Amino acid sequence: MAEKKSLGKEFTKGLVLENPVLRLVLGTCPTLATSTSVESAIGMGLAATVVLVCSNIVISALRKVIPSKVRIPAYVVIIAGFVSIVQMLVKAFLPQIDEMLGVYLPLIVVNCIILGRAEAFASKNTVLYSAVDGVGMGVGFTAALLLMGGIRELLGAGSIAGFTVLPEAIPPMTIFVLAPGGFFVFGILIALANKAAERNGKPKAELKGCSACPMASSCKLVGTNDACKEEAK
Amino acid sequence: MIKVFLAILLTGILTDNFILSKFLGICPFLGVSKKLNTAAGMSAAVIFVMVLSTAVTYPINTLLVKNDMEYLQTIVFILVIAALVQLVEIILKKYMVSLYNALGIYLPLITTNCAVLGVVLLNIEEGYTFWESIVSSLGAGLGFMVAMVMFAGVRERLEGADIPKSLQGLPITLVSASLVSMSFLGFTGLVENIFN
Amino acid sequence: MKKFDLKEVLVPTISLFLICAIVTLLLAVTNSVTKPQIEKLQIETANKTKAQVLSVADSFSDEKTAQLNGATYTYFEGYDKENNVVGYVFTTSAKGYGGDIVTMVGVNNDGTVSGMDFLSISETAGLGMNADADEFKNQFVGKSGEIGVNKNAPSENEIQALTGATITSKAVTEAVNIALELYEEVA
Repeated sequence: MAEKKSLGKEFTKGLVLENPVLRLVLGTCPTLATSTSVESAIGMGLAATVVLVCSNIVISALRKVIPSKVRIPAYVVIIAGFVSIVQMLVKAFLPQIDEMLGVYLPLIVVNCIILGRAEAFASKNTVLYSAVDGVGMGVGFTAALLLMGGIRELLGAGSIAGFTVLPEAIPPMTIFVLAPGGFFVFGILIALANKAAERNGKPKAELKGCSACPMASSCKLVGTNDACKEEAK
Repeated sequence: MIKVFLAILLTGILTDNFILSKFLGICPFLGVSKKLNTAAGMSAAVIFVMVLSTAVTYPINTLLVKNDMEYLQTIVFILVIAALVQLVEIILKKYMVSLYNALGIYLPLITTNCAVLGVVLLNIEEGYTFWESIVSSLGAGLGFMVAMVMFAGVRERLEGADIPKSLQGLPITLVSASLVSMSFLGFTGLVENIFN
Repeated sequence: MKKFDLKEVLVPTISLFLICAIVTLLLAVTNSVTKPQIEKLQIETANKTKAQVLSVADSFSDEKTAQLNGATYTYFEGYDKENNVVGYVFTTSAKGYGGDIVTMVGVNNDGTVSGMDFLSISETAGLGMNADADEFKNQFVGKSGEIGVNKNAPSENEIQALTGATITSKAVTEAVNIALELYEEVA
């Protein structure tokens, strides 16, 4: 019973409290780039979730076998492997999604959420917990993308998932599907998330700078990184 | 020839700016753009790694394509870039201390930066030749620098501004980034109209 | 001084090597499964598109190549039931806002466009992507010679540019114009 409860917690934390996009501010590049429409947001969200869950499971299963010295390269290889597999499957069976995501599909490999979860969670927890953590974080990522994609498509193209919803009389504000709209909507959403967090007595979302970067552990090991030290202050 | 190179270079810096229109390399853009000198140092390191990675991955890709093993691109490139950055760091630390002091501290941060892998993959997608790829990487890197340095200036202005509480910090940074990116939209069509 | 420990060097190296080997093997397996499927999909799309852009044709020739301004393009001849050539389908491309736009353009025997469609297009959603709508694509039908782009009131041999996506409109028109030039070469 107790285990079930905490399993649920591992799942829901990714959705709200530790939402990777709006609270931890991870994976900003794909969030901004692929949230131009609901369709591409779902495509990116699902692809990243599949990679996240698979790599979390494998890394957690191998956590006692992989020597800690080479753990980061090992994680990168495993993640890159899953990304390539997903990429090939998408190309073969969902070609429209592949065209829509373009270069951002292989770039899932450097999505900080995935390497971040591998290092922070999967390397320390059992397979079951890591899988649930992956699903929770993946769904949280997808939900945030979907929210942004919905807002941007509605305001920028007047449609939701390709179906026109705004009447002709209201011309869509194209700027929202372009780059500036991405930055703007993301900024406003984080501000809203901060407001909600403040009301509940939680700290503001803040870019963790170095610790958000997957290489943070190696910088700290080297200990000479001024940029890191500066951020740590 | 020169015309083609110039067109690629200007496209990378202005119209297809990596940060402001392609959303690649957002983490360092938001994280290290607080001060002008760190922004410049980071950008210099990014330019260096981008050009070097392109020079190394181009022949590797030719080899992969020849052997019908394109499906290994992602995994090979990320490993090669990571190893390359480590190598460069060791060499700089040992033989070029002054350069290491200027750039070295940023190197570990950009190994898994999506801008570096992104430029390598995009060059292949565009079907560029070796030198075109190098120029395109240089353009992307310079574009990164332009955006970083400009934005560092914008952020310095934000320091003293009176901002509503929940917008403080990251949200206002993103909204300002939106405005900077909007100004770059003005370059749309520039390169096509100069060179065609 | 610390003793050089062989195990300390060998174990990480071997385990990393093993992980790489296994991952590569898995990728090779996936590739062997998906590659035929991807190729099949490409051929299917090409077949469907060329039948659509040159609907008067009943069958098509094998892929042929033609030269124009130093570049090589592929095209198909379209035949009616008696095996007479009724038109051509050219595969051309031009650089749009979000990368290369690859089109298939059907040209009738009299040099007019019979239809066009995209094999690959990744323009901005809500702007350039509107080029994929029939209203835009059908503008080219019946036009010949060199087609121009107009933002406001297009004349006879011009098409109406997409709102806010002039680059895409120009690129698509360029691809169609290349096809019309190729037609002059091969016909």
